[in-house]
Amino acid sequence: MSTTFYPLASLSQIESTPSREDGIPADLEEDLRAYGCKLIQEAGILLKQKQVAVATAQILFQRFWYVTSMKQFGIGDMGMGALFLASKLEECPLRMRDLINVYDLLLQHSEHEHTMGPKSNTEFKYAPMSYFGSTFYELKDTLVVAEMQLLKRLGFNVLVVLPYGTLINYLRVLGLTSREDVTARAWGYLNDAMQTPVYALYQVPTIVCASIYLTTRHMRLSLPSEPPYCWWELFDAEWEDLWSVCGYIMRLYRDRSDEERSIVVKMVNKKEVRKWLEDHSQGNEGSSNGTAAE
Amino acid sequence: MNYIQLEKLGKSDSSEGTYATVYKGRSRTTNEIVALKEIHLDAEEGTPSTAIREISLMKELKHVNIVRLYDVIHTETKLVLIFEYCEQDLKKYMDQHGERGALDPNTVRSFMYQLLKGTAFCHENQVLHRDLKPQNLLINRKGELKLGDFGLARAFGVPVNTFSNEVVTLWYRAPDVLLGSRTYSTSIDVWSCGCIFAEMISGVPLFRGRDNQDQLLHIMRVIGTPTDAQFQKIFKDSPEIQVKQFPRYPKMDFRQVLPKASPHAIDLLERLLKFDPAERVSAAEALSHPYFTTAVTQTPFGINTAPGSMPPPAFNFPHPHGHQPSQQQQQQQQQQYSRHPNFIANPASVQQQMQAQQAQANMGAFGTMQFHAPYGHNPNAR
Repeated sequence: MSTTFYPLASLSQIESTPSREDGIPADLEEDLRAYGCKLIQEAGILLKQKQVAVATAQILFQRFWYVTSMKQFGIGDMGMGALFLASKLEECPLRMRDLINVYDLLLQHSEHEHTMGPKSNTEFKYAPMSYFGSTFYELKDTLVVAEMQLLKRLGFNVLVVLPYGTLINYLRVLGLTSREDVTARAWGYLNDAMQTPVYALYQVPTIVCASIYLTTRHMRLSLPSEPPYCWWELFDAEWEDLWSVCGYIMRLYRDRSDEERSIVVKMVNKKEVRKWLEDHSQGNEGSSNGTAAE
Repeated sequence: MNYIQLEKLGKSDSSEGTYATVYKGRSRTTNEIVALKEIHLDAEEGTPSTAIREISLMKELKHVNIVRLYDVIHTETKLVLIFEYCEQDLKKYMDQHGERGALDPNTVRSFMYQLLKGTAFCHENQVLHRDLKPQNLLINRKGELKLGDFGLARAFGVPVNTFSNEVVTLWYRAPDVLLGSRTYSTSIDVWSCGCIFAEMISGVPLFRGRDNQDQLLHIMRVIGTPTDAQFQKIFKDSPEIQVKQFPRYPKMDFRQVLPKASPHAIDLLERLLKFDPAERVSAAEALSHPYFTTAVTQTPFGINTAPGSMPPPAFNFPHPHGHQPSQQQQQQQQQQYSRHPNFIANPASVQQQMQAQQAQANMGAFGTMQFHAPYGHNPNAR
């Protein structure tokens, strides 16, 4: 098989991401990354964009946060930029206006849900931006800047290898292709994994093995999993890596409290991230200062 | 800027319209002559996709027969790509040095060898050029031929996607692409190489169609209409192709089309210009064809070398024992490529990552490019 080289984050980048250096806690960063990817996915569906472009966008988006802090760029803007760029790379370009409108709709919708609360009776009403209004032109500039920043900060390393072909091969080797529920579930885990940083951290075979592993565990299918006969070793995956990928995927499904959710939705732009950071550092300093003053 | 802009060399057109202006330039630090390709950033489209492809692919392709991308300068309004400088393109070279465009057999052989070498290197590295034509092949003073203009190129790997059908200038476009194939691969570049080969021998483009359909007819008039069985096979390989009826043309003898060509040249051309993409030779295979490996003086009529045409370069000119040494060289380059610290082949274990990490020192895996000059921005600054 051909080998294609694609970049993975370095150890120091994994140990401390730029956002964490700026004071964003690791789990909050993970949730913000996931939310950014969810927006990309939703926008992709509304725009009827090909899944390859959406997946590419999500992977580029995840890579970006290993070189840049969320204090500098908002996850909403960068997600939009990533989808715009990935659509060019996959030869199915999007119109800027369509992309901007779709993102505007999505953000208005989620804001409505979280300010009103899920049980509220007020119906969501989308307020479209005016055709020649300054909002549109500002967003357009933001989009161009986001695309540029992605290219610049990723050093034009925009090659992405998608896992779908590998999954089909592995399922064939394992003799699992006859069960449609198995293939669909494994496919689903791969897509959900797009919301986690794993594609910037591990090789495609490892991620594919993790998705098959989760599928077989959940569906109670037995495969040889006792050393020295572990099926994933057939595909050069290490147990520790596989387990770590499973962890990333399963953390996505953890129940979040309403408060956790509204924090993430609010922090979609960098202004709110900065505000959050200020509040939190002030909170700490405030308490220490407070005791000193007293 | 670290480069002095000299005279304008021309505009680069791609299928997406004029997108760049090319200048001659000189480095302030090394005095080296370079080509500066200026791309204006459009507020309507953002960064042109041609520029994205060109940079992301070319910065990794380091080969003597591929134009080197040295650096990228990035400003608010434009992108400047700094390329290795080449005196002229193959089209101009043929006009100036050829006899009514036709080059002498030795030069044809040397250029063809270099063209296939560059193409094979692209394919080894999972890159399709998709726009090979004389205007995109650059010739420098040493007689080295280099593939340029990767604005339409793309990376390919495990096929998960169908590709755009709008590639390659019409005259050099493969018949399967003309029929509407979107699952083409390296064979598309091999077809273009064949067309260029014939053009170097005769001095005129081989198939000059007006449009898609006309181009197909031009091709069939020379290489013959495929049989029903062949068509069936092509449709089976690429189901997205629309079935159409074509007039039945017999295959022409290439010796009639190119009376000047040697028997070996004719044989190679036949293998390059196969209608069915699956039957076309690969660029790497073509390099070991007898046309390159047997002794020269095969020309039937002893055509005189045109005055002023340069002898083929000695360094990679094929001789009876062929290209083994240079192949080795290429393998070495390959290895170097895979040792590239940014591209960890299989960093599954932490240990390996640590090693790669050390090699990388303090550079980020994503944020750095392997250009010799700094990349024109500070990733930590706003």
